[in-house]
Amino acid sequence: MAIEVKTQNLEMAKSLRQVSQEEHYVPGHRTCQGCGPALVYKLVSKATGGNAIFLGPTGCMYVANTSYLCAPFAYPWMHTQITNGGAVASGIEAAYQVLIRKGKYKGELPSIVVMAGDGGAIDIGLQAMSAMMYRGHDALFVMYDNESYANTGIQVSPATPYGANTTFTPPGKNVPEGRVLFPKDAPQLVIGGHPAVHFVATASVAYPVDLINKVRRGLNYKGPSFVHLHAPCPKGWLFPARKTIEVAKLAIQTGMWVNYTWENGEYTYDHTPKEYKPVKEYMKGQYRFNHLSDAHYAKMQAFIDARLKAPGKPVAIPVQGPREQA
Amino acid sequence: MAKEVFYSGCAAAAYGAKDARVEVISSYPIRPYTGIMMELSKLVANGELDAEFVLGEGEHAQVSIAYGASAAGARAYTGSSGVGVVYAMECYSPAAGGRLPCQMAIADRALDPPGDFGSEHTDVMSARDQGWIMGWAESPQEVYDNTIMYYRIGEDHRVQLPQFCCQDGYFVSHIPGKMQMEDQKAVDAFLPAYNPPHPLNPQKPINHGPQIFPDQGSAINVQRAVAFDDVEAVISEVVTDYNKAFGREYSPFVDEYMMDDADICFFLQGGHARTARYAVNHLRKQGVKVGVSRLRFMRPFPTAAVAASLSKVKAVGVIETNTSYGGVTRGGNIAPEARAACYPLDKRPVITSFMAGLGGEIVTLNEFYSMAKVLSDAVKSGKANASYWMNFEKEVLDTHK
Ligand SMILES: Cc1ncc(C[n+]2csc(CCOP(=O)(O)OP(=O)(O)O)c2C)c(N)n1
Ligand code: SF4
Repeated sequence: MAIEVKTQNLEMAKSLRQVSQEEHYVPGHRTCQGCGPALVYKLVSKATGGNAIFLGPTGCMYVANTSYLCAPFAYPWMHTQITNGGAVASGIEAAYQVLIRKGKYKGELPSIVVMAGDGGAIDIGLQAMSAMMYRGHDALFVMYDNESYANTGIQVSPATPYGANTTFTPPGKNVPEGRVLFPKDAPQLVIGGHPAVHFVATASVAYPVDLINKVRRGLNYKGPSFVHLHAPCPKGWLFPARKTIEVAKLAIQTGMWVNYTWENGEYTYDHTPKEYKPVKEYMKGQYRFNHLSDAHYAKMQAFIDARLKAPGKPVAIPVQGPREQA
Repeated sequence: MAKEVFYSGCAAAAYGAKDARVEVISSYPIRPYTGIMMELSKLVANGELDAEFVLGEGEHAQVSIAYGASAAGARAYTGSSGVGVVYAMECYSPAAGGRLPCQMAIADRALDPPGDFGSEHTDVMSARDQGWIMGWAESPQEVYDNTIMYYRIGEDHRVQLPQFCCQDGYFVSHIPGKMQMEDQKAVDAFLPAYNPPHPLNPQKPINHGPQIFPDQGSAINVQRAVAFDDVEAVISEVVTDYNKAFGREYSPFVDEYMMDDADICFFLQGGHARTARYAVNHLRKQGVKVGVSRLRFMRPFPTAAVAASLSKVKAVGVIETNTSYGGVTRGGNIAPEARAACYPLDKRPVITSFMAGLGGEIVTLNEFYSMAKVLSDAVKSGKANASYWMNFEKEVLDTHK
């Protein structure tokens, strides 16, 4: 009864020149200037090519992108609730499995891509994402990480860095650093508990070829894969719109972001600088960290140092509970 | 060949789904609907049904998986009970608004607290305004038949809406009854394969559910409202065809028993109609002119058919089996709709909400007799209280005058 359902076989690009000039993410969106997540959309859809279905859980990339009658998606695109990107993708994948098996759909399994924000991936959307991974659906879950709930006005999410000023973690007399917690480790959440997953990677809009290839490698695996994409948000982080790529690069140079691949248990690292710059250099460029004192920077530096000692390995995150004193 | 079987409502739903050739099934356990998925998982495991059986991680996901599958072009099936039904609440509107005709089998159950397993319609009645077609079956036979008919109604291109295919928990879902299962070829002839007008397909890109501006919203809502107007005509067609194909005698919307010369009637949905008819048989022997009018669809609410049926009597007792705390009658949700349906009539019956059968309690014959007494008194006086909580008359009645 079971017939082979072909998964994707996408070629790797050596340089941007080898990437098709055809655009799948076309004009029509209303995102901010310099929007990192919008660039993610452009690059991910270049990576997939035409045979793809994209799902957009509620978030900036839904609200700011998909105005009725002028949406920028030149491929089938469907809104999902912020809560259920992984579940709707599972349903679509399951449907294609059975439709192909029954001969009702002629053609290869499309690349099914969930484009979730950090909230839609590892906060309210975590359950559905994890279940999609666990059940082994042949789909790619992209977490475009702007480190906040951007669409609702820059609130805190589990990906928000320590010390960030967000509309739900404003610095004040009693809480001088604003955001007191350190972020969840999204790739580790996926790697740690999902036996069906063979490919997890992190990438950054600052390195587009790497990003495109990681998306393709994820899709080429039969089964679920996860890519965590660093996507600076000029509006939320408060830096000039023209500096998105600069900020993204600085994140890597300071160790605030690490590009790596986890493939069948093996880690490989990309774009690691010879010497890391102090995190303060990265944080100083963004108004969301402007209120921090040297003690706060030191705390962040200590966290990053610990994480860099064993990148890709779980770090004891110095989470401070509400009833605990540092 | 059609065959006679002895099935519970759960088994009937599962075999209805099988004969409807569902393609993606999403499951999550909760009593009493669980039996449906237990049956279906066996059918998939032993190769009797070629479908993807997806283990949802909860009801929210179950419905999401089902409407995702439906968007991709597969016939999708899911279900739940009680708290599971309300846990998925966020997902009902996107399924209906996306015009994705998946089906959800409900074996209804009381909500928490107090954590009762029994049948009560409040769970899914809470979702009655989410744009799904919704109605109750009173027997395993009707569960099986509705499962098949609902797909044809919902998938009709004039309609394109998801369906809550409901049955009373335990009273219907767990009590086996004799029923007829139809020949697969005959079901195929009645219910063609799902033919979605706009499936998610890379060869023909569409955008599903884009963000709109406030001034565009009502235009989209109007289309949904118009589709709901059209559902009644489609239901009539489908039920008529089904009766013809399989020799059933369903009326599309309101199933009547001894209504033609009745002075009073019980108006209700679901399995308690069987007890109501027993009560009527008995009361008739005592000379009480009473009938039963059973609602087969809650959404769309068959306003004209209900008005026509209830206009035959002078007093109507609605047996609610659902709650609407602080609602207009201080009773359940059905009486207000029945009253509204009858409002344009020149001679309106007195309509009362009887709160009975909550939390899985049996609505006993004695209760029907005492309701008949209240209704007979109402015929004489032309008046009755808006609601009665059965068996709590002394304590509760006074507060509901
Ligand atoms: C159940 C639910 N709760 C809250 C919201 C409000 N909401 C809309 S978009 C959004 C933020 C999404 O954040 P994220 O997933 O990080 O994506 P981003 O906006 O940052 O791109 C929220 C909270 C919602 N749509 N649904
Ligand atoms: S708020 Fe941030 S994520 Fe949202 S559109 Fe603007 S730049 Fe992009």
